Amino acid sequence: MAETQTLQTPVVAARDRAEESDAPARSLWRRMEPWAFGLGSIVVLLLVWQFLPSFVPMKAGTKLFFTVPSHIAGTLWRMFATGSVWAPLGVSATAFAIGLGLAIAAGLPLGILLGRSTVLNAMFDPFITAFNATPRLVFLPLLMLWFGIGLWSKVAIVFLGALFPLLINTYEGVRNSDKLLINVVRSFGANEWDIARLVVLPNSLPFIIVGLRLAIGRAILGVVVAEFFGAQDGLGVIMVRAASGFRVDVVFAGLIIFAGLSLLMTGLVQLLEKRMSRWRPDHANAG
Amino acid sequence: MTGYIQGRNVGLTFRPPNRAPVRALGGFDIEVEEGEFLSIVGPSGCGKSTFLSILLGLIHPDSGEVLMHGRRISGPGSDRAMVFQEFGLLPWRTVQHNIELGLELKKVPKEKRRAAAARLVSLVGLTGFEAHYPHELSGGMKQRVGLARALATDPEVLLMDEPFAALDAQTRDLMQVELLRIWREAKKTVLFVTHQIDEAIYLSDRVMVMSKRPGRAKRIFAIKLPRPREYEMRVTPEFNDLKLEIWNTLKDEIAA
Amino acid sequence: MAEETTVRQSFAARYRNFLLGALAVVLFFAAWQAVFLWVPFNPLFITKPSLIAAGYVDLIESGELFHDLAVSSVPFFLGLGAAVIIGVPLGILMGWRPRVGYALDPLMTIFYASPLVALAPLLVIFFGVGVWGKSIIVFTLSVFPFIFNAYAGVHAVDRLLINVVRSLGGGEWALYRKVIFPSVLPYIVAASRVAVGRALIAVLVGEFFAASEGIGFAISRFGDIFAMDRMFGCILTVMVIAVILTEGIRWAERAAFPWRVGR
Repeated sequence: MAETQTLQTPVVAARDRAEESDAPARSLWRRMEPWAFGLGSIVVLLLVWQFLPSFVPMKAGTKLFFTVPSHIAGTLWRMFATGSVWAPLGVSATAFAIGLGLAIAAGLPLGILLGRSTVLNAMFDPFITAFNATPRLVFLPLLMLWFGIGLWSKVAIVFLGALFPLLINTYEGVRNSDKLLINVVRSFGANEWDIARLVVLPNSLPFIIVGLRLAIGRAILGVVVAEFFGAQDGLGVIMVRAASGFRVDVVFAGLIIFAGLSLLMTGLVQLLEKRMSRWRPDHANAG
Repeated sequence: MTGYIQGRNVGLTFRPPNRAPVRALGGFDIEVEEGEFLSIVGPSGCGKSTFLSILLGLIHPDSGEVLMHGRRISGPGSDRAMVFQEFGLLPWRTVQHNIELGLELKKVPKEKRRAAAARLVSLVGLTGFEAHYPHELSGGMKQRVGLARALATDPEVLLMDEPFAALDAQTRDLMQVELLRIWREAKKTVLFVTHQIDEAIYLSDRVMVMSKRPGRAKRIFAIKLPRPREYEMRVTPEFNDLKLEIWNTLKDEIAA
Repeated sequence: MAEETTVRQSFAARYRNFLLGALAVVLFFAAWQAVFLWVPFNPLFITKPSLIAAGYVDLIESGELFHDLAVSSVPFFLGLGAAVIIGVPLGILMGWRPRVGYALDPLMTIFYASPLVALAPLLVIFFGVGVWGKSIIVFTLSVFPFIFNAYAGVHAVDRLLINVVRSLGGGEWALYRKVIFPSVLPYIVAASRVAVGRALIAVLVGEFFAASEGIGFAISRFGDIFAMDRMFGCILTVMVIAVILTEGIRWAERAAFPWRVGR
């Protein structure tokens, strides 16, 4: 079951190291260096992009496809200033919220159930492995036939995308539950529901939050792709229409909005995680 | 004959998947009197902790029966509570809420839980730490919480499964003194499983030595040392004679 | 009494989980087939295993399926190959030269966190939906796992081993070959598992758009003409391929890097 494993290693590991090495004894420049280089590279990239047309002669055809950061920023500004962004964004956000909500409502109980029952787990395992390995996108044409073009086919693809990370991480969290703690609450007369409430759920929360973070990414991906192919409104629809009308700036503006939403949601989850992890030994350092 | 707690011919075999079965207990007999402090010592894996789990009602024996007040034990009950070796505190709960756990499961109203927890916090000497999380406590303090939690439901019998094994030697000595004080105040029957002969003698009215697996009661020693017991008692000749005798009984059972 | 029980377990007990799983799959397809004995069957809306099987025989005999798979596999492997060739050295460089790491880390994080698939319509307009257009979509989506895992892999290199090789007189190249590459390799294989999933998404997105062949196009076209049996056949094929790829990589990880098991 992939999700938890992929998460432990890549990005996080690299960043933790970077933070570790921030010893206070270092000089100001040594401490600022990562920031300077990081910001610098972004600024340089933007500048080169902005002034590329001034230095490199372009054919008229190529120019049609080309946009510069200032133009994108202007478009983004106009979309918000005129309020034209809100209606499509609302449509996309509705599909996102319903799909993710349903995935949470289904994934958590199912994950707990599979984690507590070895028989059910063995029976569901082939299906979960298969669905998790397969890009859920492959079902989009089918879902469009079943749910029509519009909100519900989007909800369905978001749901399918977000369900498995949540389910698998909940399952891993449940499996990881301390047997001793389960025995402790049982010794005080706890039933299966009490065990889930008092031990299994709190113990799984860190796993579930990792799953939630992944699920948000998948859900946004689901909204975007579903709107590319099977919708009549939404931010994704605006982007496809803009692309076919050579409004490259609008496509980039859409990408920035989706990326911003993704960062915002992930940030909210991190906030939630921090609030709920006061009991954890690593909390003080992590804060 | 109706004893307070009686185990008759208790046997239990574990059958772990993909491994050979382990016969933990076989033909185990025990008799516990109300209010006494009984320690069980025995070689590793002799089934002493298994017996406590059976008595607690978490697992059921394959053969024989365990009775309390003449009734067969069929599951956990609020007349028994366990203090676990690895503490078993819920890491996401504060000291206070850990102590309230058993009361919460008995659906005791909030105010009564608060009051009981407050009383126990002071009994085990944790005043001022009510709002701390387990990871902020030392090992000795964690086990004080474990003890308070077990006492909170006011059980008749306290089961202690090597409760001080995870502590360092000095903390351990201190906790033994504390335990005797609390035992005097709370007036419970205690079944105490340990590896340490010193500890068993110092605390107990009787010490049972168990055979190696499958565990049976090999011999029971009555500890006639006067109470209240002082720490100095551990260096008296009587204490050392007992220690030697118990060691001689135990050593044949230890497979090196 | 207990000692006599045999240690060796029965076949059923040993392969219990596998048998339960297989049973569940068989039951699922049987129930799917049987449910239409009671529920009215609408071939424009749903299909059943017997029809899928029949349609599958057609797909294979006509050679359509293999043609579409072959068409889709070219950009899949081209894009992934390019992602490895560019992503891995870049990640190693970022890890090995701190300033390159400082400079590129935030930028790459922004890209990695963005739903890059949103760039697909643009890429399609730029590069078309032929082999190159699809390959570039595959590359765009799958390069970042390689960059980040190689980056993390270099950070995980044991500094002691570096000193050992240096003290034995090894130069920069020996360092890369003897220490860095072997340490980073497991990270790259792990990355390939993530990247394969993203590459499959990329191929499908590219082919849903405007392609005229390929497995994604086939699924979308069979949907358009309500050929549910063949649509399901193609979907199941993609599922099987996805499982074989990801589980295959997982198996290879366990076989090649047994010391990483449990991490």
